[in-house]
Amino acid sequence: MAMLYLLPALAVFGVFMFWPLVKSIIISMQGTDIIGRPGGFVGLEHYRHMFSDPAFAKVIGVTAGFTLLTVLPSILIALAIALLLQERIRGLRFFRSAFALPFAFSVATASVIFGVLYNPASGVINGLLSYVGIGPFGWLTDPDMALISVSLATVWMQLGYNLLILSAGLGAMPEDVLEAARLDGATGLRLQRSVVIPLITPQLFFLIVTGTIHSLQSFGQIYILTKGGPENNTTTLVYSIYEQAFAYNNSNFGYASAQAMVLLLVVLVITAVQFGVLERRVFYR
Amino acid sequence: MIRTHSTRRRLGVALISGAASVSLLLSACGGDGGGSGDEVSAPQTGALETGKVQKVSFWHSMDGTNAEVLNKLVKDFNEQNKGKIQVEPTYVGKYDDGIAKYKASIQSKSTPDLVQIYDIGTRFMIDAKQTVPMQQFIDRDKLDVSDLQPNITGYYSIGGKLYSMPFNTSMPVLYYNKTLFKKAGLDPNKPPTTLAEIRKDAEKLSKKNGGPAPYGFGAAIYGWLLEQFIATDNQLYCDNGNGRDGKATKVMFDSPDTVKIVSWWQKMVKDGLAANTGRDTSQAQKAFSSGQTAITLESTGQVGSFTEAAKAGNFELGVGFYPKLKPGDGGPIIGGASLWIDGVGHSDAEKEASWEFVKFLAEPKNQAIWHTGTGYFPASKKALQEPMDVKWRKQYPQFDVAVKQLEQTKLSKATQGCLLGVMPQSRKLSEDGLEKAINGADAKKSMTDAANALLPAIKQYNESVK
Repeated sequence: MAMLYLLPALAVFGVFMFWPLVKSIIISMQGTDIIGRPGGFVGLEHYRHMFSDPAFAKVIGVTAGFTLLTVLPSILIALAIALLLQERIRGLRFFRSAFALPFAFSVATASVIFGVLYNPASGVINGLLSYVGIGPFGWLTDPDMALISVSLATVWMQLGYNLLILSAGLGAMPEDVLEAARLDGATGLRLQRSVVIPLITPQLFFLIVTGTIHSLQSFGQIYILTKGGPENNTTTLVYSIYEQAFAYNNSNFGYASAQAMVLLLVVLVITAVQFGVLERRVFYR
Repeated sequence: MIRTHSTRRRLGVALISGAASVSLLLSACGGDGGGSGDEVSAPQTGALETGKVQKVSFWHSMDGTNAEVLNKLVKDFNEQNKGKIQVEPTYVGKYDDGIAKYKASIQSKSTPDLVQIYDIGTRFMIDAKQTVPMQQFIDRDKLDVSDLQPNITGYYSIGGKLYSMPFNTSMPVLYYNKTLFKKAGLDPNKPPTTLAEIRKDAEKLSKKNGGPAPYGFGAAIYGWLLEQFIATDNQLYCDNGNGRDGKATKVMFDSPDTVKIVSWWQKMVKDGLAANTGRDTSQAQKAFSSGQTAITLESTGQVGSFTEAAKAGNFELGVGFYPKLKPGDGGPIIGGASLWIDGVGHSDAEKEASWEFVKFLAEPKNQAIWHTGTGYFPASKKALQEPMDVKWRKQYPQFDVAVKQLEQTKLSKATQGCLLGVMPQSRKLSEDGLEKAINGADAKKSMTDAANALLPAIKQYNESVK
């Protein structure tokens, strides 16, 4: 009987989740002709090529760098702002809305705006810096800076969402716990470190897990700002999959699927590790 | 937050579904079947059935103003052919997206009747063997095509046989800021014609040497521009006569002359005479429009927006021929896109109706509407004599430079451009090499590495279409 109730859901999952997954695994072991039709079993050839290709090693490195540069900074900055916004200051509502605003921007819109700001010749950032005699910098064109610039834009985009989640957590903080802490003489940083932050670890944990997944799947800002360049220094795994499958008339669906399998594994492993290691330190009320 | 088992499980499901959606996207493009055979032929004349409206599905990649003008032409055509043919245009994304969708449609056996494909997809389209070569219709109808610009049809022809109908054509030209030229003490009516001259002018223009502009020169790291430099130098881009005597087996953008061009560019940036705005063409356009660079290289398609920018920014716009490494024969290659009539899986009536529409678009009057509305180069010679076109060019005299440039270009294998199945990848790799060099790496090594990196892709392509 239970199976009968589950059947519709299973059917949907089967058709839209599991079958494509199985199909991807199959395609990742096939070659493709110029039109992109899969054909010819090549076994693990794509995987062998992938793991022996220095270009792919670089893709993994860039992906790791991008994740490191986006996830923690965006959470830490949001946390700092959220804590500041707990204070009763004038114009609090205004600041709250203002800081949460990035959440309302689509990735595409924000990326286009950042592209304009970053322009090495006519961009506002270099324009302002020139007044203090610094620069000009090739924000998106200098191979050493591009990943940092794209990450910076991503942190900004992610900030609003993180802030909302953390503010909600802080807002739901039980007054009696805080009062008890204060009565015990905890103030300032000590109060934040020992009482407030432990109480919002569920929110922090949630943001770390979803932020990591989100970051590993980022595409829009890279597509719009750098197209994976300069010198492939911003080509993350997802962007590489896109390039192999859809860009430049490539249609290497086999190779792209093999990379998608790696992405799936990376996401699964990282999330499993996060659940295993970090969740032990999360304080659930 | 209360910990339950379901949150954890839900997250797991979300993960799998996220990854699965990537795989769904990829496998949606899979599929089986579809054979390749010999060339598809044109139907007999009179294939259109009377008393029945024949619909023509038309996939294109025109957006913005271009789409508005195209839709107007479609409307005109549909009105003229009321009760007979109805063209239904669909925007399928930019060129790269368009060709990706077209490939998917081949797999699902649902190709449109008519499709617009970019210049560098030409070899692929021929090898995909889905379309009826335009030459078949032309020969069948004994159509006089002397009105079509030979320099434009040349790109889409192999051995004198026209495969697709050129539709939107652009050419690269040199744009310069006359006002900044005057301020730097240069003759505003003498644009640079060689790379050495650009450097000489940029030395006077750039702020670094006390000039009026932050940078004398600035163009996007765009493979198309490199292809143009090679053509204006009268050199081949790929072997086997630019892929026109047989399938090309290698690219030659690591030739000594090309390395000279790349080194020139590298040194311009290093010496602070040129801005490096990266690969995004819109960033280089912005830099020029805002007077941050005084000389740029762009398509004729920019005449309109640069004219507007000049008005808004209070400067005078100049246009010159595309610069050469050294004076000599050779000239730029045309770019843009062309129209392909699908044959496989399409009825004679559908092919015939598509041909009618293609012929309509190639008429001088419609080419003039297209040209004046979008700034694309007209494929028809007579279009330039249409009153509306003459009037338009009075308003945008800069465009006459492009007309002259096209008419003065001798048609040769070099100026026809390279036909290569993996041309889009090639363009990307040439950009990789150019970018590396501009960022300081050795020019010769960067370009050689890039050219070599393409070899496996060319080999794979050629083997799969044997």
